[in-house]
Amino acid sequence: MARRMLFLIPLLFGLSIVMFSLVHLAPGDPASAMMSPQAVSNPDYLEQTRANLGLDKPLPVQYAIWVGNLVQGDFGTAYAFNRKPVLDLIGERLWGTVQLQGISLLLGIVIAVPVGILSATRQYSILDNTVTIGSFIGLAIPAFWLALLLQVWFTVNLGWLPSISTGQASKPWAERWQYFVMPLIVLTLPNIAYFARFMRSSMLETIHQDYVSTARAKGLDERNVLYRHALRNALIPMVTVIGLQLPRVLGGAVIIEQIFAWPGLGLLAWDAIGKRDYPVILGLTMLTGAAVMVINVVVDFVYVLVDPRVSVSGDSATGGH
Amino acid sequence: MAVSLGALPARRRHPIIYRFLQNRLAVIGLVIIVIFYILALIQPWISTFPYDQLNPGMRDKPPSTEHWLGTDRSTRDVYSRLIKGGQVSLAAGFMAVLLVMTIGVSLGAIAGFFGGLIDGIIMRITDIILSIPLILLLITAAALFRPSLKTTIIVIGVSSWPGAARLVRGQFMQLKTQEFVTAARAIGAGPVRLMMRHLFPNALAVIIVEATLWLSYAILLEASLSYLGLGVQIPTPSWGNMLQDGQRELLAGAWWLTVFPGAAIFITVLCFNLMGDGLRDALDPRHRSR
Repeated sequence: MARRMLFLIPLLFGLSIVMFSLVHLAPGDPASAMMSPQAVSNPDYLEQTRANLGLDKPLPVQYAIWVGNLVQGDFGTAYAFNRKPVLDLIGERLWGTVQLQGISLLLGIVIAVPVGILSATRQYSILDNTVTIGSFIGLAIPAFWLALLLQVWFTVNLGWLPSISTGQASKPWAERWQYFVMPLIVLTLPNIAYFARFMRSSMLETIHQDYVSTARAKGLDERNVLYRHALRNALIPMVTVIGLQLPRVLGGAVIIEQIFAWPGLGLLAWDAIGKRDYPVILGLTMLTGAAVMVINVVVDFVYVLVDPRVSVSGDSATGGH
Repeated sequence: MAVSLGALPARRRHPIIYRFLQNRLAVIGLVIIVIFYILALIQPWISTFPYDQLNPGMRDKPPSTEHWLGTDRSTRDVYSRLIKGGQVSLAAGFMAVLLVMTIGVSLGAIAGFFGGLIDGIIMRITDIILSIPLILLLITAAALFRPSLKTTIIVIGVSSWPGAARLVRGQFMQLKTQEFVTAARAIGAGPVRLMMRHLFPNALAVIIVEATLWLSYAILLEASLSYLGLGVQIPTPSWGNMLQDGQRELLAGAWWLTVFPGAAIFITVLCFNLMGDGLRDALDPRHRSR
């Protein structure tokens, strides 16, 4: 695992080059984006601001300075957001996203795993067909549309729930749960759909394996066969699937947090992009990228731990995907 | 006695088509998608108003016999915009997937066929791109470059290919070790001929399934970007920007501005998914149970 982690260093360098070029090759100028229109018309002042932000230096120099600081753990200061350090900004918002997405992932797993198992053990039953159609629907509903419809029902028509989350942090917990309901519904629905579908097919594949038939043939009752023999192996691929959800989870946060004004990383990213705040955009993408890469390695590692059939080099002996 | 092909039952003659047609949901998906594409193609003849025509005094009017799906806050006809928006959304999705598959299939094929250093480099690039959440990457790129229909298509195309590349690479690596490839190589087929004539046709089924599923995803991505104001720009309608434009009128009770475009996106994505899933099952019976 340590070796795999070391391989991430060149990848992170690659990521830094890709993101730096993307951000800096785009047309537009953050200096003029952060100044008032009158100030922009004053060329001296504009030059001064650009120099203050370090934007007057040639791009390779800017890149070298940025990466040099990054290696020392210095993500720089934001152009906007009261010129706070980028890491402070991210630290302030991290908990908001972790809370929301963590609960949504847990809820998704807790609901989807039993649903998927039941669906597989009663293949082609009414329950199974409902689950299949339901998960197709859950995956096809555009999140932003569902969010809008929920806001209309629960906020406008019924007046039950607040539509945006501004100021929720100062409320006591007895009231704060209200802010979670709608974002959680929108985020969890596709999670349930995705995990349930996967759990179903994983369970079906396992049920038809030889060793399950053997267990049946030697006279074990069906309950024992399913839950002691089949289920364990059917759960293993879920480790990967849940790990692979991470980029999707972090990406989905941008749209949902924007709609519900949820104080998390997604909203921070959205605001930073709108303000052309390069240090914040770059800091967020670098940290997200690093998190995703590390999670991928950890997921592979956990997979080896829980499934003795898979060797450390990552080759699957099961003949699966 | 020679058995003519025509005497065979349909399931033996065209097993893939037969299996696909057995899947009721997939067929429904296909039919609805075809209808949507036809509507998009004949859009100029079936719209009741020019999609950008203002109708003075008709702001936020509910559906009526004259304006079938009502009017929006700029007094334009929602039905005509929905049809035009469908044309834009479906075309954008199609173009984006064409780009995704062109880049993904070429790079995946090269990586899988040649292996070694080229493979290493291409796969590391996919690792890097896949480490950034797609939506975050799309929003960043679309916002920094000037948002437009063209930007949307290009941005989706150049950031979404790694999935297809990995898939095709896996296929090519598997196929190139098979005997028919060795045989073709032995009689002197060069790398280009091997890839185009021998490997590509055998990977085509997998590529088509992937493309179908990407069509649904690309339409969803275009709608998301347009909804955020980073995609297709008004007055050109797309389902996503109609939603964005209409959501401001929700408080006033103008539900028809959000319900219809949202339902259009939902149905399109759902049908592409059903169709893609049915295709995958038909092409690979091993997946039947899924």
